[in-house]
Amino acid sequence: MKTMRRGLRTILRNPLRTGLLVAVLAVSVGLALIMITVNEAFAKRLDDIRAQVGTTITVRPAGSFGGGFLGRGGFGGDPGGENPATGEDSTAQQATLTDDALADLSSIEHIASYSRRITSQYTGDELQSTTIEPPEGAPAPNGAPAGGFQVPILVTGTEDPSSLASLGVEDAQIVEGRTFNSDEAQANVAVLGQTLAENNKLAIGDTFQLNTTTMEVVGIYSTGTQFGDNSLFLPLETARTMFDRTGEVDEVDVQADTASNVGEVADAIRAALGEDVADVTTQEFAFDAISAPLADAQSSSQVGMIAALVASAAVILFSVGLVARQRVKEIGILKAVGASNWHVTAQFGIETAVISVVAAVLGALATFPLAQTVANGLVSDSSVAAGPGGGPGGGPGDGGGPGFLRGAEVASGLLGDVKVAVSPEVFLYAIVIAAGLAIIASAIPAWYVGRVRPAEVLRHE
Amino acid sequence: MNDQLPSDDYVAIAEELTKHFKSGPVIVKAVDGVSFRLPRGKVVALRGPSGCGKSTLLNLIGALDRPHSGQLTVDGVDVSRLSGGGEVAYRRRKVGFVFQQFNLVPQLSAIENVTLPMEFVGGSNGASKSRARELLRRVGLAQDRHERRPAKLSGGEQQRVAIARALANEPPIILADEPTANLDSKTGRLIVELLRSLRKEYRTVIIATHDADIAAEADIILEMRDGRLVGDAVA
Repeated sequence: MKTMRRGLRTILRNPLRTGLLVAVLAVSVGLALIMITVNEAFAKRLDDIRAQVGTTITVRPAGSFGGGFLGRGGFGGDPGGENPATGEDSTAQQATLTDDALADLSSIEHIASYSRRITSQYTGDELQSTTIEPPEGAPAPNGAPAGGFQVPILVTGTEDPSSLASLGVEDAQIVEGRTFNSDEAQANVAVLGQTLAENNKLAIGDTFQLNTTTMEVVGIYSTGTQFGDNSLFLPLETARTMFDRTGEVDEVDVQADTASNVGEVADAIRAALGEDVADVTTQEFAFDAISAPLADAQSSSQVGMIAALVASAAVILFSVGLVARQRVKEIGILKAVGASNWHVTAQFGIETAVISVVAAVLGALATFPLAQTVANGLVSDSSVAAGPGGGPGGGPGDGGGPGFLRGAEVASGLLGDVKVAVSPEVFLYAIVIAAGLAIIASAIPAWYVGRVRPAEVLRHE
Repeated sequence: MNDQLPSDDYVAIAEELTKHFKSGPVIVKAVDGVSFRLPRGKVVALRGPSGCGKSTLLNLIGALDRPHSGQLTVDGVDVSRLSGGGEVAYRRRKVGFVFQQFNLVPQLSAIENVTLPMEFVGGSNGASKSRARELLRRVGLAQDRHERRPAKLSGGEQQRVAIARALANEPPIILADEPTANLDSKTGRLIVELLRSLRKEYRTVIIATHDADIAAEADIILEMRDGRLVGDAVA
């Protein structure tokens, strides 16, 4: 206790020396802190992405892009399709998968489950769609009539009512009512996007006509986007009957039993269905492409972090060592009047530990805003390249299909989240690392002073 | 000298004590086969020119350094065989140092410097402070100087504090290395008088000096030349 009091007293009674030492250490710790924080932020974000990758494998008809309606010439510039705004041939047929072909899936090991979907564009006139007005003075979108672009209504039949991700929108949520259940496999029930429901003044329990069939609204969902909310979901068999597509499948989500078996299962599906029949993609592949910029940035930040840690340790070691060297006579005096090695080591250890921790905290407070800036800087160049084709600015008729939109949207979301990832929790964790580094680096000079022979230092000083 | 006294009456006994240093290829024999017997309660002057080995001999007696050979017993403790904790305990209880440069801890006040040796032996705060004040009064440091740091004290005041610190744990031997070298002659004489007064407490004071006047104040003079004692005399 007396040793601790003496150590603290020494710190307070040398404000200039303490201040300079704290300043030097704060700068070096701060730099290390930035890199640790940024690196942790990237690592956390990549972990999140990996967690999102999951075990899903997507199977689509060979040659399609985006699956279902998207693969069969939906809106946008997909070469195989027509512009939906013209209303011509919007359900043009393309090779489809069939239930018979998918029967082979049941013999493949490590498949936990799979769910089928079909997607068609609604062409009737019972439902009112959303119209997007172009900016004033801007030319109408490619192929769109003057006065605005009418967003097509997509109808998806699915046998997995728990998932509303069929439109490529990951964050769909039921805002009213419910999804349909397995007992309603052939029932005339629908879950509507919020925009579509509002445009048609439909609420839970209301009915509406869809291709001459009377449907009941059982749920309303929201994705936060006009495209995503301008769609509706039906049970798979109901949709098949309605669109006369019995036995057809536009897209299958296969769940592997574990993430490590995803590759093996995907290969087995390719072999079973034939690559001329089905395109098999794993989310891992898609997310690899999306997360590549993050991974590159993390590699850079990792190198930076290691370099910053080494540099900080060296600065702390030399600074504290230099101060210890300057005070070597004092150490000799303390020993001459009866201090043990422990007394001296403890006093200097306490002094350096307190200074280091104070420096770490000050460095942290000063550099916290910079951590986010560095994170953004490391990822900014990559984020432009992350949206292939369409990119964040892409839209209908730009030449990229909705699949591009989807990729761009997800990529943009992932990269945008890096900003959030430099959280106080990550930063506190980084402070602990930086303080630990400072204390460890300080321990070496403290150990050195404990071993000073008093006669040597008093003789030479 | 004083060979006729019982050994308990000698506070320090050295037999063929040696301490060598390596200076490049040359071996410097700082202490070269020194033997002596120092009685209790005396002032001993260790006289000789600079570099003759006085300070090295004091360091050996104070266990700040270890001899290469020979035997040294101080107050019943075989100092030549001490190491680690034994050395520390010996420095705390058996010797007190007074240095030419005063060597006070600059961050601590006068009273804190005096309580320092008592802290190392585990004395309570209150008792240590009370004893430190008493010691500072005894060495003649004015009350208003007790809380001052060394930089705010004169050389003579600093040396008084150093003497008080040396007495903190009541050691039987006080080792003073050129204690007046940095003081004016008047202050120097006062410091020597202060050191001489410790005889009354049956302490032995060993003063290393090259000043003949100071040596003349001692009870015993040990003359050193090139690491050897060349004679002794009772003043």
